[in-house]
Amino acid sequence: MAAPMATIILTLTAHTTMSTERAALLLSQWLSPAFPVGAFAYSHGLETAVAEGAIADATELAEWLTDLLLWGAGASDARLLAASWQGAADTDDTARAFASSAERLRETELQGAAFVATVSKVWDHSNDPATYPVAIGAAAAREGLPLDLTISMYLQAFVSNLISAAVRLVPLGQTDGQVVLKRLTPLCERISKDAMEGDLHELSSLCWASDIAAMRHETQTTRLFRT
Amino acid sequence: MGIYGAVAQSAEQIAPIQEQPRARGTLRLSTKAGPKGSAIDGLRQQGCLKALFPRVTGHTEAILINTSGGITGGDRLRISATAGAGSRLALTTQAAERAYAAQPGPAGRLTTDLTVADGASLAWLPQETILFDRSALNRRLSVDLAPEARFLMVEPIIFGRRAMGERLSAIDFDDRVEIRRAGRLIYLDAARLNGDAEAHLDRPAIGAGARAMAAVVFAAPEAEAQLPLVRALLPQSAGASLLGPDLLVARLLAPDSLALRRMLLPLLTRLNAGPLPRSWMT
Repeated sequence: MAAPMATIILTLTAHTTMSTERAALLLSQWLSPAFPVGAFAYSHGLETAVAEGAIADATELAEWLTDLLLWGAGASDARLLAASWQGAADTDDTARAFASSAERLRETELQGAAFVATVSKVWDHSNDPATYPVAIGAAAAREGLPLDLTISMYLQAFVSNLISAAVRLVPLGQTDGQVVLKRLTPLCERISKDAMEGDLHELSSLCWASDIAAMRHETQTTRLFRT
Repeated sequence: MGIYGAVAQSAEQIAPIQEQPRARGTLRLSTKAGPKGSAIDGLRQQGCLKALFPRVTGHTEAILINTSGGITGGDRLRISATAGAGSRLALTTQAAERAYAAQPGPAGRLTTDLTVADGASLAWLPQETILFDRSALNRRLSVDLAPEARFLMVEPIIFGRRAMGERLSAIDFDDRVEIRRAGRLIYLDAARLNGDAEAHLDRPAIGAGARAMAAVVFAAPEAEAQLPLVRALLPQSAGASLLGPDLLVARLLAPDSLALRRMLLPLLTRLNAGPLPRSWMT
């Protein structure tokens, strides 16, 4: 029992030594659209939802993204990230099995692989491939980043990327996009707190219409996005 | 009040829950390869779960019956089925399963374990599960596939009977499906819906107004070849995809039970190795 206890103490020490300012700066680097994970190429099925008429304005976009955050990939990625940060076994296998379609799997695998490739070169982390939230969770733990901030910034980057996609697809004004993001940011904080235990038995996804849109994207004739 | 008062009070609080009728049922079934394709290898039925075996050729068909007439809080149903090497087993239910209003307390539990050996096939084709207002249902389906096993699954859920004007304002639904191939998790679906089901289902990215949903999984070497044929059968409210060359998944939304069944019949007929169980055709 001595070894796990020592690990816990070391982990806690690491977490308290990183200042919030440094943590926020490192996370904003990792989660910035400029970080080479190619997030801009993935729409998470949004391209089909727009094409099929489910999202036609900023209000409908905000409703759709609220669903994804509370009952879809937002909440489930948050739990997977937390489980990975805590070093739970089999988190990556769970993340892959939980992907609801081929493009969803590709989206999380390719962004995860690109993130790991860069972080292994720049921060000297391991280069074991992992799905995106699992890769972020592991890297954040290694750098001693606080879990709640890591999750909420991950979620904000997730919706922010989808808002940029919608600004191009619907199309919407840039200001409208920022209004939507401002409205969704408190949700990111709330979900982060709910997910911190990283209990994978609580994984859930109800966003069936969004999953169906992602499946239908595979055969959509006009596509700007990979998913 | 003291410690004795506190104990008496908590016993009083527990009492109404214990009065709730609790059904218990266990069914264990296995098949083996036989001279006529498949034969029953083992069968054990206890409590409210029973099976009927209509005469069919080439495979074994089991029609599961819950004689308690539905699932409510505190019920415990356990199904375990194994398709032994080279055998073919199809499981269905005699009628739609109903999850009725539950008293406060533990949810009704339905736990199903399916095992499919090499060279065997298993089709898990229950009819719809209908959720009623204030139902509390906890379902676990675990499937273990050998490397050369074939598997087809459908799980249709009906969120209240819209035509009957039923409202689903407070339900507790916790559903989880895990499929493993050679011990490795290849498919995980988990849905926890607690509260006003209709408010959830009216959300654009959840149900967009639907009241019926189904998941379909097809694990077989020809899954990839079936994908375009399956897609051609699906309307805009449904989609299909491949999670691996031998793993096809589909998700369907429909306004009600009847519309969902109309979507499922051609799809399941295409993916099932033989004709669908008769309970699906009536």
